[in-house]
Amino acid sequence: MTLFRLQPPDTHRAVKVIDLDSATDADVVRLLGDVDEADLVLMLVSAGGNAEAAARIGRACSDRRVMTHTVIVRASAVSDEALARTLAQVRPWSLMVVVVNDDDYVDDILTSFR
Amino acid sequence: MLRKEQNDLLTQTGPDAPFGKTFRCYWIPALLAEELPGNDCPPVRVKLLSERLIAFRDSQGRYGLMDEFCAHRGISLWFGRNEECGLRCPYHGWKYDVTGQCVDMPNEPQHSAFAKKVKLTSYPLVERGGILWTYMGPPESQPPLPEYEFATVPAAQTYTSKRFQECNWLQAMEGGIDSSHVSFLHRGDINTDPLFKGARGNQYNMGDLSPVFEVVESTGGLYIGARRNAENGRYYWRITQWVMPSYTMIPPRGTHSVHGHLWIPIDDENCWAWSFDYHPTRALTEAELTAMRAGKGIHAKVDGNYRPLANKDNDYLMDRAAQKAGKTYSGIEGFAMQDASLQESMGPIVDRTKETLVSTDSGIIMARQKLLRAIEAFTEQGVIPPGVALEHQRVRSAAVVLPPDQPFKDAAREALIAHPGVAPASV
Repeated sequence: MTLFRLQPPDTHRAVKVIDLDSATDADVVRLLGDVDEADLVLMLVSAGGNAEAAARIGRACSDRRVMTHTVIVRASAVSDEALARTLAQVRPWSLMVVVVNDDDYVDDILTSFR
Repeated sequence: MLRKEQNDLLTQTGPDAPFGKTFRCYWIPALLAEELPGNDCPPVRVKLLSERLIAFRDSQGRYGLMDEFCAHRGISLWFGRNEECGLRCPYHGWKYDVTGQCVDMPNEPQHSAFAKKVKLTSYPLVERGGILWTYMGPPESQPPLPEYEFATVPAAQTYTSKRFQECNWLQAMEGGIDSSHVSFLHRGDINTDPLFKGARGNQYNMGDLSPVFEVVESTGGLYIGARRNAENGRYYWRITQWVMPSYTMIPPRGTHSVHGHLWIPIDDENCWAWSFDYHPTRALTEAELTAMRAGKGIHAKVDGNYRPLANKDNDYLMDRAAQKAGKTYSGIEGFAMQDASLQESMGPIVDRTKETLVSTDSGIIMARQKLLRAIEAFTEQGVIPPGVALEHQRVRSAAVVLPPDQPFKDAAREALIAHPGVAPASV
């Protein structure tokens, strides 16, 4: 699992990136405790992967009115059905969904929000 | 936000700028065909991508687009005499054909062959869909003519206008993919404008003022989906197409015509906002054409130089009473000038190092990143950028109602492709 925090930017925003593809239950519980401090939670999910952990974080963000942004990385081999399953998991709580073909965009998206 | 060097990269389109070279991979609209209405008509000054050019139509109906200034003493050929298959400088009589070749040099001795050695930079100028298109890149890399659907349907089915916009092309274009502003800036017009009102989809718009956005990569650019609640747990999707570098296509409403824009740099501080309306399967009605010519829908009322009548010199005819009454949200009349007034207020080139983007700006963020990647790939490896290939241009926007779990790009796959003679997917 990748977890890192950007240094506080000029805008004084706290932006946190969480890759939850392989998060353990303990990871999720710990992250849930951090949600209150976040201005924006961006989650990176692989299309066709299990987004259950992301959904738990997302629901917590929704309850606490924290902005949620989900980036779904769709590998070329992933079927429409697999993407649909992932979308069904993230749509209920994502305020913004971006579907990209490679994860190179994630750093750029984060920088744009600073 | 962008770093300063990124902002410079995306906003500078002169001949030597990296994005200037990339922009020159595409056919771009140069003039409306109506600007050169007949053989030997007056020439027209054209500035594109920071190059000053002159357009003319010769005695045989051939179009020419070349350097504005005579090779002899730098006189503007706008003063020229358009006669006998060439544009003649009125200063000393040098004459150029539509390829920029000097064909007569009457102040030189009669036997001189020097004229053959003088040629102005010139670009192809081709009519398609009522627009004169040009390609300003290397001749050996010239792609096939553009095939955006609005430019390929029969003439009776399409209408295009243009207006001068006094800001950099990128901030104008970004307005075209910023779907979240519609619920605010344009809310007073959706149900009253003759080119928008009456569609069932409008009820979804007004019934759910907080759409959720999904941005999905396409081969030529991006799909930007705005999702609202419809009946029985289904979603109403409005899917905007952005095709690189600057083609934006607004989702249709009901049986109305389909519309969109091309944003073309004049120089780094001004651009042309091209606006089109067309219908894939029927002629535009007289009522629709009358409304478009009157500046309704996405069009604007302009003067003879295509500058909007509402402009920054008259504060865009701001109507505070209409603003207070809610007739218009910003006090400015019409979609086009509502957008342009705010975009021009950002300054000629907005400083993107100071902006504060939020999640609904993801379409803009992704578009910038795709442009930056394309510039880098073209500059460093010569990779032809997305949007040049004709299949990238043969696309449509769509408005559809879909089951809740479906990816809109896949569920509406056929609706997002331009199939000639097939009606658009619209609600």
